[in-house]
Amino acid sequence: MANHSTSHPTHVHHHFVDSDQQFDTAKLGMWVFLVNEILFFGGLFCAYIVYRAWYPELFQMAALELNTFWGAVNTVVLIGSSLTVAMAIRSAQKNQMKGLKINLLITIALALVFMVIKGFEYAHKFEYGIFPGEFYTYDGIDHPQAHIFFSIYYMLTGVHALHVIIGIGLIYWIYRRAKRGEFSSEYYTPVEITGLYWHLVDLIWIFLFPLLYLIE
Amino acid sequence: MSDHNHEHHISTAGQLWAVGTALLILTIITVVLAKFVAIPPPLDVVTAISIALVKAFLVAAFFMNLYWDVKFNAMLLIMAVIFFILMVSITLLDTMYRNDIVPSF
Repeated sequence: MANHSTSHPTHVHHHFVDSDQQFDTAKLGMWVFLVNEILFFGGLFCAYIVYRAWYPELFQMAALELNTFWGAVNTVVLIGSSLTVAMAIRSAQKNQMKGLKINLLITIALALVFMVIKGFEYAHKFEYGIFPGEFYTYDGIDHPQAHIFFSIYYMLTGVHALHVIIGIGLIYWIYRRAKRGEFSSEYYTPVEITGLYWHLVDLIWIFLFPLLYLIE
Repeated sequence: MSDHNHEHHISTAGQLWAVGTALLILTIITVVLAKFVAIPPPLDVVTAISIALVKAFLVAAFFMNLYWDVKFNAMLLIMAVIFFILMVSITLLDTMYRNDIVPSF
């Protein structure tokens, strides 16, 4: 503490006592942001719950239009990507830069697989005229409020997919920085923070999958 | 938050794979239960959400490292969940006790 101005490693900003304090502070900041994210998605989940309570039969009919198989595949893909992110952080902690880069690349690949499957699912629905809100023209579901289920579906999965796209960008940015040799077991805060974000994207999907796809 | 001198926890590869495998198995269980086992209506949702909560706990505790982290971060997550439940509860107190649902809703 006494001569902290001279003992600072280069990655530690001036206003932090040491590397650990900077790490904990960054993590705390990210968790505050994740709380914000949970409540942001919470509003959408709240709409889901209200409408499901009002029209339980609509949700059962409409869920049949969703393909459980591809939903399950996407669940497995996202769980896999969470695992590779956790492995990437472990590699960084153990100073294994090759492992870090490989795990980040696998994560990006899995995220792209998720988006491609999601894209096919959307395209399939658009073919039938299953659009959100007033653009809904599908007549295969015998319920006057059928468009509401799909408005909620598109909002929840669409905002989630937006998070996946942003996540791909962030992980690629982390990959570029890892390639430039910016991280080590001494400093991997951005890897950890981005990892937390990616796990949250996985967490949200863990609830979206049973709520949207697994209604019988 | 007082001790900043703690070592960062490093999970073993085995631990991480175990968590990933558990998540995979739980996913298979929830799909099988929903598609091939006829659970009566209120209980099927309860089962699906319970499994999702176990999966969420695994991710938060062992992938997001809350189990080994400073407890303040875990408290933030728990507060978020509490406020979410509060938001849903108060909204349902309104929407479930209306005489007529607004027609276009």
